[in-house]
Amino acid sequence: MKQVLFILLVLMSSMSMAVGQRIVSGVVTDNSGETLIGASVVVKEFPAIGTITDIDGRYSLRVPEGGETLVFSYTGHTTQEIAINGQSSVNISLSAGQVLNEVVVTAFGISRESKSLGYAVQGLSDEEIKLTGNKDLLGAMQGKLAGVDIKPSSGMPGASSQFVIRGARSFTGNNSPLFVVDGLPISSTSTFSTGNSVTGADIGGRSLDIDPADIESIDILKGQAASALYGVRASNGVVLITTKSGKGLGVGKPIISFTHNSTFDQVSRNPNFQTTYAQGSYGAYNPNASTSWGPKISDLPNDPTYGGNTDNAFTAQYGRQEGKFYVPQLAQGGLDPWRTPEVFNNWTDYFQTGYTNQNNLNVSQATQNGNYSIGFGITDQSGIALGTGMTRYNAKAAGERKLNNHFSVGYSANFSKSNIDKLSGANDGSLTGVLAAPSSYDLKGTPNHIPGDPYRQIYFRGGSFDNSYWVPNNNKFNEQTDRFFGNAFVNYGTDLNDDMKLNIRYQAGTDNFTTHLQDIFGFGSRGNSKGVISNYGLSRATFNSLASANLDWNINSDWQLGVMLGNELNNTSDKIYEQNGTDFNFGGWNHIGNANIQTADESQSFSRNVGFFGNAGLSWKSMIFLNVTGRNDYVSSMPRGNRSFFYPSVGLSFVLTELPALQNVDWLSYAKVRGSYAEVGQAGTYLENYYLTPTYVGGFWLSPPVQYPVGGVNSYIPNSVQYDPNLKPQNTVSNEFGAELKFFNNRLGLDYTYSKQDVTDQIFAVPLAGSTGATSLVRNGGAINTVAHEIMAFATPVMNKNFRWDIGVNYTKVENNVIELADGVESIFLGGFVTPQVRAGVGNTFPVIYGSSFARNQNGEILVVDNPGAWNHGMPMVGAPQVIGEVSPKFILGGTNTFSYKNLSLTSVIEWKNGGHMYSGSNGLLDLYGMSAVTEDRESTFIYPGVKPDGTPNDIVRGGSEDPDALQDLYANVLTTIDEYFIHENSFVKLRELSLGYKFAKPVYKGLNIGVSLYARNLLLWSALRNMDPESSQGNTNMGGSFERFSLPQTTSYGFGVNLTF
Amino acid sequence: MRKIFNIVIFGLLITSMWSCSEDVLDDINRNRNNPTNVNSNLIITDAMITSGFTITGSDLAFYTSVYMEHNVGIWNQSYNAEIRVGEPSSATTFNNSWNAIYNNMYNLKTIIDKCSDGGSEEGNYHTLAIAQTLLAHNLATLTDLMGDVPWSEALQPGIVYTPKLDNQEDIYNEVHRLLDDALANFDKTTKFPSLGNQDFIYKGNIANWKKFANGLKARYMMRTSFINEDFDGVISFANKAFASASEQAQLTYNGTTMISPFYKFFTDRNYFGASQSLYNKLDERNDPRIDVLWKPAAGTSEVEIAPNGNPVQVQGRYGVSAISVPTAPTYLLSYHEIEFLKAEAYVRKGDLGSAEASLRKAVTAALSKSNIGLASKAAEYLDNEVLPRFNSNPLAEVMNQKYLAFYEEEAIEAYCDYRRLLAMNDDVIKLDNPKNAAGEFPHRLTYGNSDVTTNINVRNAYGDGRYVYTEKVWWAGGSR
Repeated sequence: MKQVLFILLVLMSSMSMAVGQRIVSGVVTDNSGETLIGASVVVKEFPAIGTITDIDGRYSLRVPEGGETLVFSYTGHTTQEIAINGQSSVNISLSAGQVLNEVVVTAFGISRESKSLGYAVQGLSDEEIKLTGNKDLLGAMQGKLAGVDIKPSSGMPGASSQFVIRGARSFTGNNSPLFVVDGLPISSTSTFSTGNSVTGADIGGRSLDIDPADIESIDILKGQAASALYGVRASNGVVLITTKSGKGLGVGKPIISFTHNSTFDQVSRNPNFQTTYAQGSYGAYNPNASTSWGPKISDLPNDPTYGGNTDNAFTAQYGRQEGKFYVPQLAQGGLDPWRTPEVFNNWTDYFQTGYTNQNNLNVSQATQNGNYSIGFGITDQSGIALGTGMTRYNAKAAGERKLNNHFSVGYSANFSKSNIDKLSGANDGSLTGVLAAPSSYDLKGTPNHIPGDPYRQIYFRGGSFDNSYWVPNNNKFNEQTDRFFGNAFVNYGTDLNDDMKLNIRYQAGTDNFTTHLQDIFGFGSRGNSKGVISNYGLSRATFNSLASANLDWNINSDWQLGVMLGNELNNTSDKIYEQNGTDFNFGGWNHIGNANIQTADESQSFSRNVGFFGNAGLSWKSMIFLNVTGRNDYVSSMPRGNRSFFYPSVGLSFVLTELPALQNVDWLSYAKVRGSYAEVGQAGTYLENYYLTPTYVGGFWLSPPVQYPVGGVNSYIPNSVQYDPNLKPQNTVSNEFGAELKFFNNRLGLDYTYSKQDVTDQIFAVPLAGSTGATSLVRNGGAINTVAHEIMAFATPVMNKNFRWDIGVNYTKVENNVIELADGVESIFLGGFVTPQVRAGVGNTFPVIYGSSFARNQNGEILVVDNPGAWNHGMPMVGAPQVIGEVSPKFILGGTNTFSYKNLSLTSVIEWKNGGHMYSGSNGLLDLYGMSAVTEDRESTFIYPGVKPDGTPNDIVRGGSEDPDALQDLYANVLTTIDEYFIHENSFVKLRELSLGYKFAKPVYKGLNIGVSLYARNLLLWSALRNMDPESSQGNTNMGGSFERFSLPQTTSYGFGVNLTF
Repeated sequence: MRKIFNIVIFGLLITSMWSCSEDVLDDINRNRNNPTNVNSNLIITDAMITSGFTITGSDLAFYTSVYMEHNVGIWNQSYNAEIRVGEPSSATTFNNSWNAIYNNMYNLKTIIDKCSDGGSEEGNYHTLAIAQTLLAHNLATLTDLMGDVPWSEALQPGIVYTPKLDNQEDIYNEVHRLLDDALANFDKTTKFPSLGNQDFIYKGNIANWKKFANGLKARYMMRTSFINEDFDGVISFANKAFASASEQAQLTYNGTTMISPFYKFFTDRNYFGASQSLYNKLDERNDPRIDVLWKPAAGTSEVEIAPNGNPVQVQGRYGVSAISVPTAPTYLLSYHEIEFLKAEAYVRKGDLGSAEASLRKAVTAALSKSNIGLASKAAEYLDNEVLPRFNSNPLAEVMNQKYLAFYEEEAIEAYCDYRRLLAMNDDVIKLDNPKNAAGEFPHRLTYGNSDVTTNINVRNAYGDGRYVYTEKVWWAGGSR
């Protein structure tokens, strides 16, 4: 690459500096005469030179020699081109409601007219992103895009989210789009997988490093046709992010903008608990039980063993304690052990109000020869759960400078530093006690450790989980990341002749980060274990080189041709380290140096992608557009001989309203049909079969029972994951058709897209039958088929001088079906337990939940045991393990509604997710523990809905005072063994965002402009799932959003923002 | 101008083409983190640890321990096994064990291939013989618990995806063939160095390995006694096996980087309570072990014994094992088992004198286990309690003593003995779980889920999993 840079430098210095400019200024108004603020004025011949109108609608622009035409554009108005003809003042009135020449950003940042595209793209403005001051970029996009499903894992600071466009293409691999920031592809997904996602803490995604406040706009390239130019990395679509650069500003003095957001978080949904019954089992009080199947709380003083009203060992010691009962944990804590029965809500006692304080400062300026923007941001969050929080610092700079008529240079640089404190979930549930502590137990008021010994816990139950109040001081789940990414470019542009323009651009970029994670269960964790520590991290350095040449040729007045050729090289080196320690010598120093058993590992890996690509676009009369792309990639991570692949795409767009017959139809403003075909693949990772030191994890073991080296002796066995030397890239063939219609001067619009993807030869670790001797084989196998319908619609029902009502709707329906898996494979494990688990299964949508079902008869009715006298008489039975839930929703409908009155605007974003299932471990376990409200009535009899084996409806009456054990047996011993009982529909409707904003029309003081907003997120929730917010789940993998078990709760946020600009 | 562009384009092409040549990309993709080949002495270490810890010592033993009423499952999966809900018939229950056994057999096969003719370590006869011995042990354990299993088409990843099931009879022939080969190979001389410290069982002592292989021959001949009685054969091989506990095939644990499975199961899960039926057997014999096998649950002061089949599902109430300690060894084949095999064979041959002698050695060894430590009480116990019972019903006492001796590390063997005795109409070990009378004694363990879901042959054999309650394995009088 060095040679290329050198040649380019030589090239640059050999060019003479061209001069000769004049200033053109004027006023832009709409057709009612109102001045337009922020209208864009660009020199057509020099697209990099432009400005926007100021508060009075004025602009002033230095037009270089050769600049003949100005292009004026403003959202919701017709773009117009005016020839300068030597004038120094050009005033213009733009007519409202026509957006014929909307410009969108496409692959490699190429701006193209939206009408020329044969595929769907969707853009988000900075205002849409920053509506409610969300610090999380992915969260800020929820509900605002069609064809996209964004699934957050929880409300914990830094929680991961799944971002999937038009369904999944990979079973176990990456389904997230490629993120490209200012032309540079960057890492956006989680650097470490949560694996089976039933232990440890969530691990955040690297999109977290992007501060939404730095963003100017986002363009989503959804289909493969849109992203095909990016080759192997782009089968999942592309998210193009443009950060603030000062480009759109008018030439003048620097604009300084300061934004503050304060956001307050609360738990979005509180479970309904039973509040009648105490800790215990089968009606008997047991102060150490995890269950609340004890006596009535009010009867505790009469308990024969612990009651203050009865004669027992404790009253023998202390004397009668009328109306009280003995709590051993209080005795352990050195407090008066006698308590009057009381009902506690340990859930609400625990959570605090989270607070996020965000401050952003941005300085931007456009000068005659370029522009720059510098931004600083600080985000400081404390979570709703004790000890959780996030601090993030962002700094960015971007700029561009025109050196002469031909050369311009620019750069974009971003730095971020984050520190996140998390909590663990599922089998390591930090909040298990908070969720399921008996109502009779005062979790908050009882000491969490023995006085004087902070490492011996006091808890209401046995040792599988830590006391939630002990956790913040002893366990630690932390992520710290430092990251820099940025790029610099040099651009050379020249007119080859009057109708032919050439642009050559070279860009070099880098994305470097180091992330350090620490998982610690402190000394004294879980049944007085001596603790476990794991320090691990990744340093990644990515170098990206991109060279491209663009030729635009106006062949004649009807025909135009644009051709691009390019080369890209992406080189990544990763180093992962891991230090594991167990068995601390003493408490209070949870450090690897205090661990008696220490193991370490490291891994270094490298990968390189080289691509050659080309694009040709031909248009006729601004009516028909044909676009063809091709890219050939060479990928190091594939086996020799199978590293080179070619990906073509073709797109056609036909603007019907350019037809003479349709040009004068009043009610139809715009009509276009489009279609495209593309192929894009995804590469896998191939390695020669190797040996490794075995690890003893999983199953019953909470920590490895055998850790090599054992007494200085090591061992290596064949890796149970083997590799197919004939691995080839998986391929996605995509067909997309769409129509775009706008009516009544663009007051109403509809954009529909149908797309079909056929993904074949998926690469994944194909699970093998254990009897083959290996666990899995990395090979091609399997097909997934996706049909997606997307509708983007907008309407402006009311628009007058002061009041405007805008509606935007995004509808997504994705059918994602697993057509086949490799021979002999019926399912692929994605996460969870042995059962229930999340998996991909043939003939099902992707993914599904698999587990033990209710035993049913041929009619699908639940069978109950008919065995009088048996403990489970009249109760359901465990059936065969099978698919018990489909995760994909039937559809997602997002709606944005904005009322604007003068400078006041009220915006709401609503999202309705319809259908789909999730596993809710917490709900099932609340039932098992006898803590959910459904277990409140223990005196009535019940008949379990179902049929007896003979087919007659179940009429077996159980429960009631004569049969007191039956209800506990049902919930604790029968239903909890049936995974299907834990499956819930997870349809929901959420008021995701609500924002009331006011911008002062005029500067309040000299040049100071102020905007304020009040907002709320996740404000209203209707959910088919009981007790929990359905957007709390386990895992940062493809199982995301479908599996919940002591997961951390989701939040509702309220906040305000202030923006000062001067 | 044009020339410069040409240079730029040409330069770009050259650099790019070079940067993606196959050799360069090969080097970039080279695995820097793992070896692609290692010698058999470094592989076999884990084959031993897995054979002991995982296969003999862990899940299979935990569940059979519940079925055999060595322990009572009082929580979660173990409780479900106790009340025969879900776990006993679920394909997921033994999936980890199933995969571990096949994985370990694949490792052993890799060693055997390396050390056999044409392999990279041709002539490494002793390592070969050790691998054959362990493979025989693994394969027999698998078929003993699961019946007909894939073998002849197994262990070919990426070649055979759905191995067929082989008859247990054929598999048993294979077990004996492996052991015979091993015995022959132990006698060959080799230039390859001894395994030394890589050998976690015998530190490279080939004489002991040979005794182990002979002992396995005895065990597996006895196993098929319902089909084919050869008690002389059992005695003959047993006589060539261990002469004392110091020679037995056991995996020892250092308690830190390698922890005894039952102890680890207790600290990590705490799913077991003291068993009533085991307690009763000790109680009626005034067995000194009654005072050392259990201790009260943490936070309680008395050992509460859990009823078999219907305990309360609660942790921290019932007494727990006191012999689950961090260093309690796992026996792949114990010396006391050898003596019990002889005792049973002599009883069945009618040679009660020899039987008594073997029984004395067996019971003494059992009471002398490192985590029991009752050697000093053995003679008195034998004289006062065991021999009178032996005299009234020799087979019953031998088998019951064997059953007691197997608590708690050798539950798998206890389970195999129990099923064999049922087949031979010698129902001498009394189990109390009421589910057994209701037709819910699991006669076998389920196949692993990885095969049930991906191998049609195993799935058909598995059905809905209820076969475990009805279908006996071949050597126990069943058909598959």
